[in-house]
Amino acid sequence: MTNIDIALLSFPVLLVLIFLRVPIGLAMLLTGIGGSYFINGSFLMIFAQLKNLTWGTFSAYSLSIIPLFLLMGQFATLGGMSQALFKAAETWMGHKKGGVAMAAVGACAGFGAICGSSLATAATMGQVALPELKRYGYSGELATGALAAGGTLGILIPPSVILVLYAILTEQNIAKLFVAAFIPGFLAAIGYMIAIAIYVRIKPESAGHRDRAPYSERFRSLIAVWPVLIVFIAVVGGIYGGIFTPTEAAAIGAFGTGVIALFNGGLNSSTLKTSILATASATGMIFLIVFGAGVYNAFLALSQLPQTAAAYVGSQGFNPWLVMVGVLLLYLVFGCIMDSLSMILLTVPIFFPIMSALDFGLTPEEFALWFGILVLIVVEVGLITPPVGMNLFVINSMAKDTPLSATYRGVFPFVMTDIIRVAILTIFPGITLVAVRMLY
Amino acid sequence: MFDRIDRLMRSIAAFMAILGGLVLIAVILATVASVSGRALLWIGLSPIRGDFELVELGTGFAVFSFLPWVQINRQHASVEILTMHMGDTANRLIDMACDLLMLAIAILLTWKHWDGTLDKLAYGETTFIIQYPIWWAYASGLMGAFGFVLISFWCVILSAKALLTGRNQSHGETVH
Repeated sequence: MTNIDIALLSFPVLLVLIFLRVPIGLAMLLTGIGGSYFINGSFLMIFAQLKNLTWGTFSAYSLSIIPLFLLMGQFATLGGMSQALFKAAETWMGHKKGGVAMAAVGACAGFGAICGSSLATAATMGQVALPELKRYGYSGELATGALAAGGTLGILIPPSVILVLYAILTEQNIAKLFVAAFIPGFLAAIGYMIAIAIYVRIKPESAGHRDRAPYSERFRSLIAVWPVLIVFIAVVGGIYGGIFTPTEAAAIGAFGTGVIALFNGGLNSSTLKTSILATASATGMIFLIVFGAGVYNAFLALSQLPQTAAAYVGSQGFNPWLVMVGVLLLYLVFGCIMDSLSMILLTVPIFFPIMSALDFGLTPEEFALWFGILVLIVVEVGLITPPVGMNLFVINSMAKDTPLSATYRGVFPFVMTDIIRVAILTIFPGITLVAVRMLY
Repeated sequence: MFDRIDRLMRSIAAFMAILGGLVLIAVILATVASVSGRALLWIGLSPIRGDFELVELGTGFAVFSFLPWVQINRQHASVEILTMHMGDTANRLIDMACDLLMLAIAILLTWKHWDGTLDKLAYGETTFIIQYPIWWAYASGLMGAFGFVLISFWCVILSAKALLTGRNQSHGETVH
């Protein structure tokens, strides 16, 4: 067996393990360690690497941003900023047809600007917006669908944990990726609002009416949003301006949201404990996957499969655009069953060199940014596609009187806008890249 | 007796996770202090020397100490689409197999990390700027690593019990 054969054989082994519910990080560790045993004929090399790899991964400065962003999201939840954002969006937009649902999406976008995780955004905004949507007579189908979709803005709009990982895997500048994510994230929010507008015109009974709020109330509601703005400007502006490293920005963001939560009375010893434990769960889970992916990808690199595959695809004269469509479709399909983080860590080290070998008429850096944003969007669609869409579960578990099937139906229009958006962004790379080209 | 051990295990995991979280908060405060110092150079403040080495030390410790908590609550990302259609016994067998594999990996990682710590101690390596001995940092990870082995072992017992008694194990949160 050649090394390439061993690497090719590792895919089905890995997939079988994953589909047998072996934790994904563990499955990658086992396959990676096993694979390097078969290539080297002994465990000597991989065991020698493990002496430093564990600490090296867990303490990596570039990865330290992840627990900090997660803690920041927890504090942001405690700080009452979700209420302030929803209130502001709702007083400005609530009187429109389907306006309260649009406000929920808008508030998700705002919250996404200080939170790097989709599940946290969906859970936090769900808590605030679901009761209000019900009060104004919105159907459970529309309410849960809009919030599950809105939750994905948590990760589409920077800061974003997934983009951080992509940046590390592909050695790209995090600041530029955040800048590139901005317009697509904004388009996502607009797309979701359009979906709601069309939805309530087809099914008028699914949305109730809310009276127009007076301007005095509207402006008052805006004032309450200032902490969100300050934190966002400090974090994303600081990273973009090169004033802080991303890790420093995340620390400042966590500090800022923590202080705000402290002032609003949301942070006490009991909520601090809950926040820490939630951060511990998510961080530990992510790092085991990152570590497993590190071991597995080191084995793949040792087998030279990614380079060989890239050289092969590059020399075959495939139509780059067709390959791109194929890859994105693959992500969409896998996204239905696998979580976004594992998918990125598992696939980017293989797909990125292959796709880089194709010519899309972009510079290597522009390609990396554009591909990253496309992949980010398609894996996020996985969060709201049945049967395994985590956002759907999170929101549905909060809306006791809405069956899961109704949430599945409710999210359908939003998935459609996602697919349309991916198509547009794929055909016109300039939309993603224009902000980067202007700012850098 | 069994329940008391179970509670003890969950408390150990929670204790380690919270300790890690507090260290993470210390990292945040140190970073904010350092950035403020850098911004306020003109009034005579200064950044913390080697602040990024402190960040690495703190996060490394924190992540290690989070592992037992993730394991005891079974919060690892996994794909359930096939197994949710299988029977209870099949699922309990899978639980058992996964927990055994996790225990094996936990032991391997801890063993190799222990070796790594001894290496760093023997070579006397220090970090560049603060020049603290790197083996301290490695050793700080050992607490979480030992906890991970202990909790992984306990999870094997829990799965074995569920498999033998035919009753589901409780996936409840710890008693705070």
